[in-house]
Amino acid sequence: MENGRNVADGVRVAARALVYAVVGGVALLAVVTVGSVLGPMVVLDLATPAMAAWWTVFTAVAVQGIPFLLLGTVVSAAIGAFVPERVFRRVLPKNPALAVPVAGAAGVVLPGCECASVPVADSLMRRGVAPAAALAFLLSAPAINPVVLVATSIAFPGDPAMVGARLVASLATAVAMGWLWVRFGREEWLPSVRRGGGPAATARGWRGFRDGLQHDFLHAGGFLVLGAAAAATFNILVPRSLLDVFTGSPWLSVLLLAVLAVVLCVCSEADAFVAASLTGFSPTARLAFMVVGPMVDLKLVALQAGTFGRAFAVRFSSVTWVVAVVSSVLVGGWLL
Amino acid sequence: MSLRLHVPPLRLRLRPQGVLLILCGSALLRIALFSELYLRYVKEGLRPYLVVSGAALIALGLLGLFTRDHGREWDEEEGEGEEDSHVEGEGHDHTRNPRIAWLLTAPALALLLFPPPALGSYSAEREEARVAAQGAGTFPELPAGDPLDLTLGVFASRAEWDTGASLKGRTVRLTGFVTRDDGGAWSVARLRVTCCAADAQALKVEVRGADAPAADTWVKVTGTWHPTGRPGTDAARPVLDAVSVKRTTAPSDPYEKR
Repeated sequence: MENGRNVADGVRVAARALVYAVVGGVALLAVVTVGSVLGPMVVLDLATPAMAAWWTVFTAVAVQGIPFLLLGTVVSAAIGAFVPERVFRRVLPKNPALAVPVAGAAGVVLPGCECASVPVADSLMRRGVAPAAALAFLLSAPAINPVVLVATSIAFPGDPAMVGARLVASLATAVAMGWLWVRFGREEWLPSVRRGGGPAATARGWRGFRDGLQHDFLHAGGFLVLGAAAAATFNILVPRSLLDVFTGSPWLSVLLLAVLAVVLCVCSEADAFVAASLTGFSPTARLAFMVVGPMVDLKLVALQAGTFGRAFAVRFSSVTWVVAVVSSVLVGGWLL
Repeated sequence: MSLRLHVPPLRLRLRPQGVLLILCGSALLRIALFSELYLRYVKEGLRPYLVVSGAALIALGLLGLFTRDHGREWDEEEGEGEEDSHVEGEGHDHTRNPRIAWLLTAPALALLLFPPPALGSYSAEREEARVAAQGAGTFPELPAGDPLDLTLGVFASRAEWDTGASLKGRTVRLTGFVTRDDGGAWSVARLRVTCCAADAQALKVEVRGADAPAADTWVKVTGTWHPTGRPGTDAARPVLDAVSVKRTTAPSDPYEKR
């Protein structure tokens, strides 16, 4: 009887697959035909150079972000599904104030852009890691990993102080933000699942891994697209040559580059090269650009809003921006 | 009897998650595996990651379409509808499709149907050409060749920073697209991309002694260096006295490597 059922199942699945393939294939053919006939007209309409450049930058940010986002969601889904909570309890100090610097320094191990760190920090929280420690990791990982530090040293040849300053200022910002969270953070700013202690809502094992991966990728991917659209809009609206107007005042230039880092959303592997080309700005202003960029930008705010909620993202990002600017000014004054 | 293994029935369901994942995956494979379109958006080194990501997304999507039923609770969850209809945050249900994910269709369909063009003269004209400050000094000797093919980056940095004037007396050939500058001058330009097209920076070499082709035309310009000022000062700008300007086809990698 079991066998009969399995065969019937198989037949049913095959029949369904055939129907989907035929229906889907016809639909796809129709879309492609209409697209290729109407496409040139639509494209002519849209082909003002600015619109074309917008689409290019928009897809570029999305294409660049997706592999890193996938890496981040794979790591986070694996943490969620396979790593038991006691591992983190053993590795991290119990006291959140001590766990913060440890987690911040652990950011060294996640190579890649900032897109990867948001889902990983999220799954750390869901696995019972203190939010303050997970947030320190979230901020430090994209800024102090080896790939980014090497890129920085290539962008500033013969200027190792810049690499050191970036490392110190980024780590200091991350740890300061973690401690601020320990002191002033409120749990209700985070969605209920991440408040720790509660039972994990996700399934364990392979099934949990797959469901978590699929959900987190699609969810974060949607917000990545939102951020990419914002970044492309600013990229087209704000010509970088406009900046030369502001190079005169050292204070204004620090603030200006810190704002620019937020709206341009250059990924953390590339921002050092952009900073290096901003000749005419003081080294401290360029440091601020590189410290703020991987911690606060439109794409990241969108990702955080999607993952941790809007209330959290707005508060957290604005405070991080201020702390990052202060820390780069202090470290820049000291090392540069 | 009760020990007999229960094999859940295999079913095929058209879930929006699966379709979205397959759509994203095929967009990545289209630009990175079946063509070189990805070079319009990101750097060459990202290709393997794009291909692996694309394949993984398609596999994940297919896995999502063919599922075995795991008992009743699974069914009930799905019966409530697959759209994310509840308030985000109360309970974290991984089996539903988050609504925001539909935004992924925009870049995916754009890449599949009308891949956006590479950035060109529009972006280059908006940007001041800058070569990262290197400090004036002497450069190693240029290799042999007449004309010598140089990238715009090499030409510009030597024109701006080389106190040893290594470009002097050499006939060089530069490849790029045409941009118009203010006041009738024109340049051969190229964009330099570090990570993705969002961080494109313009490289421009002004061309003198030849009429300007239409903007965005790809050209090979042969000529000699035209010194404009002491290296290391603002007066030193990259300028080329053209001997010949030939049209050429756009290279598969439209941007210049760092």
